[in-house]
Amino acid sequence: MSVLLDGKEGMEYMAMGNEAIARGALEAGVKVASGYPGTPSSEIIERLADVAKEADIYVEWSVNEKVAAEVAAAASFAELRSLASMKQVGVNVASDFLLHLAISGTRGGMVLVTCEDPAAHSSTNEGDSRGYAKMMEFPLLEPGDFQEAKDMTKWAFELSEEIRNLVMLRSVTRMSHASGNVTFGRLPKVEAQAHYHFSGSMLDPDKGPVMSYGFKHAQQQQKLKKAAEIFEDSPFNTYQGPEKPELLIITCSVGNLYCKEAINLLGLEDRVGLLKLGTTWPLPPRLLKKHLSMTGEILIVEEILPFMEENVKVLAAEMAQEIGIKKFYGKHSGQIPSIGELSPDIVIQALVDLLDVGYETVPKEYAEKAGAAAFARAPNRQLTFCPGCPHRASFWSIHNALELDGRQGFVCGDIGCYGMAVLPTGFSTTKTGHAMGSGAGVASGFAKLRQFGMDQPVMAVCGDSTFFHAIVPALVNAVHHKSSFTLVVLDNSGTAMTGFQSHPGLTVNAMKDESPALDIAEICRSMGAKVEVRDPFDLKETQEALNDLMEYQEGAKVLVLKQPCALSPEKKAEKKYNMRVDQEICLGEDCGCNKLCTRIFRCPGLIWDMEKKAARIDEVICAGCGVCADICPSGAIVREEA
Amino acid sequence: MLHACDLEEGRCYAYCPRTPTDLEQLRQALYDPKDLTPELGPFKGLYVTRAADESTRSSAQHGGTVTALVKLALEEGLLDTAVLTEESERFLPQGVSVSDPLGVVRASKSKFVTSPNVAAFNEAAKGGFEKIGVVATPCQALALAKMRLKPEPAKDNHIDKLSLVVGLFCGWALSWRDLARLLKGKADEDSIVGMDIPPSKYECMEVYTTNGTITIPLEEVLPSVKEGCQYCFDMTAEFSDLSVGSARVPEGWDAAKGWNQVIVRSRAGQELLDLARSKGVLEFRDLPEGNLEKLKTASMNKKKFCVAALVKKSGSSENLLYLDPQDPVLSRFIN
Repeated sequence: MSVLLDGKEGMEYMAMGNEAIARGALEAGVKVASGYPGTPSSEIIERLADVAKEADIYVEWSVNEKVAAEVAAAASFAELRSLASMKQVGVNVASDFLLHLAISGTRGGMVLVTCEDPAAHSSTNEGDSRGYAKMMEFPLLEPGDFQEAKDMTKWAFELSEEIRNLVMLRSVTRMSHASGNVTFGRLPKVEAQAHYHFSGSMLDPDKGPVMSYGFKHAQQQQKLKKAAEIFEDSPFNTYQGPEKPELLIITCSVGNLYCKEAINLLGLEDRVGLLKLGTTWPLPPRLLKKHLSMTGEILIVEEILPFMEENVKVLAAEMAQEIGIKKFYGKHSGQIPSIGELSPDIVIQALVDLLDVGYETVPKEYAEKAGAAAFARAPNRQLTFCPGCPHRASFWSIHNALELDGRQGFVCGDIGCYGMAVLPTGFSTTKTGHAMGSGAGVASGFAKLRQFGMDQPVMAVCGDSTFFHAIVPALVNAVHHKSSFTLVVLDNSGTAMTGFQSHPGLTVNAMKDESPALDIAEICRSMGAKVEVRDPFDLKETQEALNDLMEYQEGAKVLVLKQPCALSPEKKAEKKYNMRVDQEICLGEDCGCNKLCTRIFRCPGLIWDMEKKAARIDEVICAGCGVCADICPSGAIVREEA
Repeated sequence: MLHACDLEEGRCYAYCPRTPTDLEQLRQALYDPKDLTPELGPFKGLYVTRAADESTRSSAQHGGTVTALVKLALEEGLLDTAVLTEESERFLPQGVSVSDPLGVVRASKSKFVTSPNVAAFNEAAKGGFEKIGVVATPCQALALAKMRLKPEPAKDNHIDKLSLVVGLFCGWALSWRDLARLLKGKADEDSIVGMDIPPSKYECMEVYTTNGTITIPLEEVLPSVKEGCQYCFDMTAEFSDLSVGSARVPEGWDAAKGWNQVIVRSRAGQELLDLARSKGVLEFRDLPEGNLEKLKTASMNKKKFCVAALVKKSGSSENLLYLDPQDPVLSRFIN
């Protein structure tokens, strides 16, 4: 039993932001939830999947974000409440469908939750997807604390049903993954009856076929106007501060928490007003007019792009005759950065600059001490694959195969832990890196450049989950166009990077039901690709297969490297081998390859014994994969069955 | 290089046949100084031989001498394994360690692409063999000689297990990829049963297929020669115990194909050849008149071309890159 389902109305619970969103959806009576894993969004679907059976809801990890949005939309069309969840880059994947959905409209309340990653802690970019709400003309909500994360999610379903359109709810890492007190509301008993009505006219939002057509654009814009009207009185837009502040801060999302802390620390409660907006698109004009009239100077605090800032400025320009000319501060004026995360210190610094108050955010001496202390006990190690990670072995073979081939071949990278193969931990093997599936697509293009004299062998890598998500069309393209490159599928039996969520290659789904597993190798063979399957821990076999595919085979070739992730539930804490270095054989400082093991292979489980001046196994973190025994030129690393 | 190297003189550097090498030091240290000749290196004698066993001959490139000698050394326990070259897919050769005398014949016939036999020697040495023979090209024999002279680090020294080096005469080797490209369209690769380079006057490479012989003009073949080969000074594998190559006989090339020429260089080489004679494993014929001179001329020509190529590459007649311009043999080719 999960507290999300068990927690009674009125219960106070310290919830992670994503749990609060999941509880909000349950309080709204959500019936279908779908998503594709991606940090920081994954826990929403995971928590809903935990309670799916008990709450009688359907939850799935869809093959990608577009399909997730489509699955959720179907439920909405059949008059159920539904939720689709994804990270910011996933919204790009879903966007093709979303543009159509925004015109076709919805029936049962449908909420698109996007959890974004300012500073790109767990992403390849910090794309701000709020622009989609404006471009596609649907409402956008941004919770400003954990209670709001729950309450606003619940309300988003109601809003969606009221305007008959999709509502986007945007969280960020410090909302989704931080925790705060949340008071639970009532969980409804919903007797769901799904039925799709389509007998009415095309313009009938309740009974007609749900379709995206240009002539519905006016209807769509009416929905947006209605939303703006509703937002004028929304309790999620709050103001605190004096009636005539010297400076008005307008903020949203976690900026709300940082601003409150900054105002409090500086003791500026009597000088600064804080307008926190929860409904950030469309902006409610009367509410803005009221607050913009309070003062002449406005600071806008939000993360990443100046989305709200520019929209507020448009409104202020339109109202200029009535409210006067305002002085705006924010990203355009340089007080607030447009990259990375915000923090209380950033807001404090902006207030100190604008209001001429004295405050040292972090004393220099303290910052230096803290910096030194942080490094003192941390291992001196670059960003690296885990001990026992199959990717290290795979990239060792890929790198060596390309070097042995000798034609300056290269690898087009993709999204996953293996994105780190651009770094020394992957022997700097990948040379391009973009979206999920782009490795194969870009490789397919490179391989068609032979007629222009390019004779470098081309490879692409992808994970097993990525294969299903976005590789299939690129591979179809390559096969059809006789594009000659080698796709290496790094199959570690799960969506490993985000926490082993299921995917179509596995035998269980999100709700732990048995599901038919699709065989990647067979799919590729059926397309007409030449396919080989190897264990990446067998370095020799893997390297030979790679060189063989590169040298002899024309057209699209696929090598599936199957080996579960070292952190996967079935492997974790189980060592296949006990590893040790025979320090009598280890050449130590005399190693003719100058410590290939700790200098190049660099598994964190292999360390240098400073006293004995020889390699050593760190038994605490060694995962016992056994691969390093095959890389020592002197055979000093010994593998024994555990 | 497979990985970035931060050693000035690491394991590969120490033994590579194209890193700075003091040839005279090697000659003096590894051979009887009385045997040293400028043209052919250490020299105890030149013989024309062939395997007595006809089936060995029929599966060999020419006279089957190498196959017969290695087989004999294994049978007599002089070696417990021999590192030979077997062809795998599409002419790609690989070094293999063969301990069964009957397995030697599988590795017979010339390969026109070099294989990593020194690595195969190291693998065999680590695998517990104590008396290892290697059939080596001149560059591989030079690498092994460098290992004998500079066996460091001592902890990782397996070179004492090297008991015999049978060198192969070599003019050059081809790039494997270029050879495959060269043959594509000319011969079905599955039909190819062998290749040979006849004496220089023919100026061609012969490819033997199940459908007959294909002749490829040498000018088409030479662009596929590995670049490193033009900087090689050694035609007769001077750093071996005995060296074997094709023979020249007065009856002409067709007859010569059934024989080999053997240069004996060391006592171990002499003992093996003597044993082969006494056991009747090899047949000998008289050395045709002029053969030694012809061989010396051919060998010196290779040294001359090598020096010229190195001078051209370095841009200075005083700089032979990996070789010593003061070397008593090579210096005579510097103008």
